[in-house]
Amino acid sequence: MIVLEERRCQSAEIAAELERIGGRLMLLFVRGTRPELELCAIVRTDETTLTLRASLDGASYPAVTPRVPAAHWFEREIHDLWEIVPEGHPRLEPLVRHGPEQTEITLPANGELSAGHRGAERLSGPGVFVFPYGPVRSGVFEAAQFLVQTGGEDVAYCAQRLFFKRRGAERRICEVPLELAVLVAERVSGTSSVAHALAFSHAVEALSETEVPARAQGIRRIVAELERMYNHLEAMVRECEDASLSVAQAQFAALKERLHRLAGETVGNRFLRGAIVPGGVRIDLPSDVAGRTDELLRGWDRDYKHVLAMLLETDSFLDRLVSAGPLSERDARDFACVGPVARGSGVDLDTRRDLPYDGYTEFPVAHHADGDAMARMEVRFQEVDASLALIREALGSLADGPIREELGAFVRREALGAAESARGETLYWLEADGSATLRFCKLRAASFVNYGIFNRLFDSQVLTDFSFIEHSLGLSPAGCDA
Amino acid sequence: MIRWFLRGVSHRRLTTRFPRSPEPAPAAFRARALLDPGVASRDAERIVEACLPDALTLDGRGRLRLDAGRCIGCGLCLEACDDGSIAIDPGYELATTNRNRLVVADGEREADISPSTLGGAFRRSLHIRHIDTGSDGAIEQEIAALLGPYYDMQRLGMFFTASPRHADVLLVTGPVTEPMEQPLRRTYEAMPEPRVVIAAGTDACSGSIWTEPEVRGGVDRVLPVDVYIPGDPPSPIALLHGLLLAAGRVSEASVPRSPLGVAV
Repeated sequence: MIVLEERRCQSAEIAAELERIGGRLMLLFVRGTRPELELCAIVRTDETTLTLRASLDGASYPAVTPRVPAAHWFEREIHDLWEIVPEGHPRLEPLVRHGPEQTEITLPANGELSAGHRGAERLSGPGVFVFPYGPVRSGVFEAAQFLVQTGGEDVAYCAQRLFFKRRGAERRICEVPLELAVLVAERVSGTSSVAHALAFSHAVEALSETEVPARAQGIRRIVAELERMYNHLEAMVRECEDASLSVAQAQFAALKERLHRLAGETVGNRFLRGAIVPGGVRIDLPSDVAGRTDELLRGWDRDYKHVLAMLLETDSFLDRLVSAGPLSERDARDFACVGPVARGSGVDLDTRRDLPYDGYTEFPVAHHADGDAMARMEVRFQEVDASLALIREALGSLADGPIREELGAFVRREALGAAESARGETLYWLEADGSATLRFCKLRAASFVNYGIFNRLFDSQVLTDFSFIEHSLGLSPAGCDA
Repeated sequence: MIRWFLRGVSHRRLTTRFPRSPEPAPAAFRARALLDPGVASRDAERIVEACLPDALTLDGRGRLRLDAGRCIGCGLCLEACDDGSIAIDPGYELATTNRNRLVVADGEREADISPSTLGGAFRRSLHIRHIDTGSDGAIEQEIAALLGPYYDMQRLGMFFTASPRHADVLLVTGPVTEPMEQPLRRTYEAMPEPRVVIAAGTDACSGSIWTEPEVRGGVDRVLPVDVYIPGDPPSPIALLHGLLLAAGRVSEASVPRSPLGVAV
């Protein structure tokens, strides 16, 4: 359970206070009912996790973004959803509610997003044009739009437009009966079903102070790591496709398919839906299934290591990834990136270790200092090894006993739940008032923060690097948009 | 490069022989709920309460009605049911040309549930344009798997195409969010005739767990749909079956059977 330290301040001071506290901005949102609205920030420092609240007296407050750039998308979201104006925000155009398509880049009022962080620069001249890519893209992709400004080869600027897929998940979670709400969480980002269900369940378990039985914790770790593995494999498949390595692509795709089949056979869904429920798990792993899974993964590991070793000796692959899409450690920290994107830029963070849950103990947290596409892939290569070790450790030591604990009555009104998806920290802030449904839900997928820095990866990059950079991030538009 | 070539040619064949030989789903696979039509279950109320997408509802006489086009295969109805009136279908081949065929209820007339014929315009080759209108992202990976070594849809003469102007089939995923409605219409209008629209996934079939105002609630609220592929997400075999159905190369599975195996 995440223990939150509480602090309050005036809304006029929240920006200065957040800057003074430092740390990583996890969430910034508006809660409550009009006219008693409250601006709530959740920050992770080295020692603690804290909430900073400020009453909102009017329809505006001084923006946080100029001092804490990580707030940039959160504040645009607040502006869209609540019509509250963060005054002084450098780029207050619609984010989550926007028109269908756009073919021109709208530039921020000035060239800077915040102190020291370059925004877009106005570029003009013969041959400079904006190439609108999406929301319907060539190939099989989720809906998202990228406006690439280029003179032909060099990318001058790239603006990302998400939120074509907003389905109102937060609203739905509060509308449906509490015991069914986890099904909505599982479908926010369908490739991170386990992580979303876990983060949601952790919040519900914190509201009711429920202890998850040891056997359920072991099964949770197994399915969560299996999910991480096939997501990392997906990134490898896509990068091999971009590098036109069709044999490598097919080999990684076959390895990925084997994991989905394992998921379908054991959990009954190829994306592991229906495994997690608040209080425990719904699917047990009998010892014969556990034994067979262990054996399957042993063979899988052998094949994976073989293909990976070949890939790491393939120059035409390495050439495209090394130095592509650089993200400095400073940007990764200032914009509060999470997951392999942050770890690939030398930021040492992992929810499984920092806000421990479900019995995760010692495991190596992979990180890499280079900050390029290759570094992000290196992190994934190492994490697949770590996930395999975690699964096999959990399979070998599954405790006896129940797999699910009955939820007690809620003893808290608010709680934060977190889980580390393959893409990074996934958060659910839930509020309850004793009725059969939740009162309020604010969710934040890892992709929401990591998409926020997409435009910062194209410094001296060329157009043909686009897909390498995109797939090295491995993001989920569905999760970002919710 | 030569090592990759050798690795490629030395690897055993992985590709399924579907549809020439069947490929059944694993027994534990939860494709959707199954039900005896018109059954009066003792647990009916509990079952209906456990169904998030309202796939299971009560008709006027207190009998269960199932709309498999809304079912997400969560299996909670089975947990709420003690008298055996519900079962879970592990099947893959669930695609249909008639939305009514996904509904299991008492007193459906035969004429309402007959499959429609799409003709054989695309029997030899099929060019597919995919569009995402708000899926959860998993189905895109299942579609991409069709190009992978296990399913390899190109052996069946099926290809993805970048331009809707070259496409025979519009493969739509997602419940149609508000910002994607116009791009969906424009993509459809750019396609030459004859054209086939496939709603792939339970959310595309009906909206499923998602509701207005953010989503329109299924592709057929916006465009005429020719083939429905339910599933959350549909497996690659289920998608292949739906594509073959659109090409007129397989026949539809019979109308859903009851848990007891009695044809409706």
